[in-house]
Amino acid sequence: MVSAKSSTPDEQLVEATLAGDDTAFAELTLRHKSRVFGVAARFAGNAAELEDICQDVFIQAYFKLRQYRRDSPFEHWLLRITTHKCYDYLRKRRRSGTLLSVDALLESGHEPSAPEHPVPHPDLERLHAALAQLSPKERLVITLLELEERSIQEIAEITGWSPANVKVRAFRARAALRKLMENQK
Amino acid sequence: MNERDLDAQLDALFAQARANRPDTSAAEFAFETRLLARLRARQETGSIWAMTSWRLIPFFAACAVALTLWNSQVVTEANETEQVIYVENPGLLDSWNNLN
Repeated sequence: MVSAKSSTPDEQLVEATLAGDDTAFAELTLRHKSRVFGVAARFAGNAAELEDICQDVFIQAYFKLRQYRRDSPFEHWLLRITTHKCYDYLRKRRRSGTLLSVDALLESGHEPSAPEHPVPHPDLERLHAALAQLSPKERLVITLLELEERSIQEIAEITGWSPANVKVRAFRARAALRKLMENQK
Repeated sequence: MNERDLDAQLDALFAQARANRPDTSAAEFAFETRLLARLRARQETGSIWAMTSWRLIPFFAACAVALTLWNSQVVTEANETEQVIYVENPGLLDSWNNLN
């Protein structure tokens, strides 16, 4: 049933979901899950957290589907939810004090942002360990800008900050990251 | 190491991280099945609460009626008691009026 919908546009699947067809939402999930997982993996601390973030994203999308205005592609709307969820998780993790120190991360060989990464490169491990030390806002802006290659305007739209604010935060985040990397040496 | 070198190193690391996207295929496996199961569970829980709320409506309506009846009875009794006091002590009403 899902495969028969593979050529249906997203907007029609949204309409079908709103009309009560859950298989249409399953098709939307199947179609966009890779993108959502890709972004969430940049922020998730482990595989369980990745699963939680992604489930939260799609559950929120399902229950707030009526709020989706058709003025932009469905994927953009979904990625906005994803980014907000990732930010919530970063804040939650910081509040609960589960943030590990750079040394602990390096010693354990744990790479926080790549749950299923097969052979983590030592330099990349250092980068991820340093990213994990940034504040949630700094980490969000630097991840979106440098790893997801989003423009300043896109980040401003996603976060609700002004473009000037995004630039300032990105500059500060980069400076903080530079300092952290320098201290690791 | 100066700031410019560190910046160049950071840019190189970012490029490397972009190229090395985390492999999430294992986590993605059968994700929609798990998601739909969770959505159904949430909907069932929601519908149980909604059903329980509707079923409790007659109980709360009966409570409201009983409270209204009890309240009107108490008010009537209080008025009667007040009148008895004033009848038995005629000066009391004058004192009360003077106070106000």
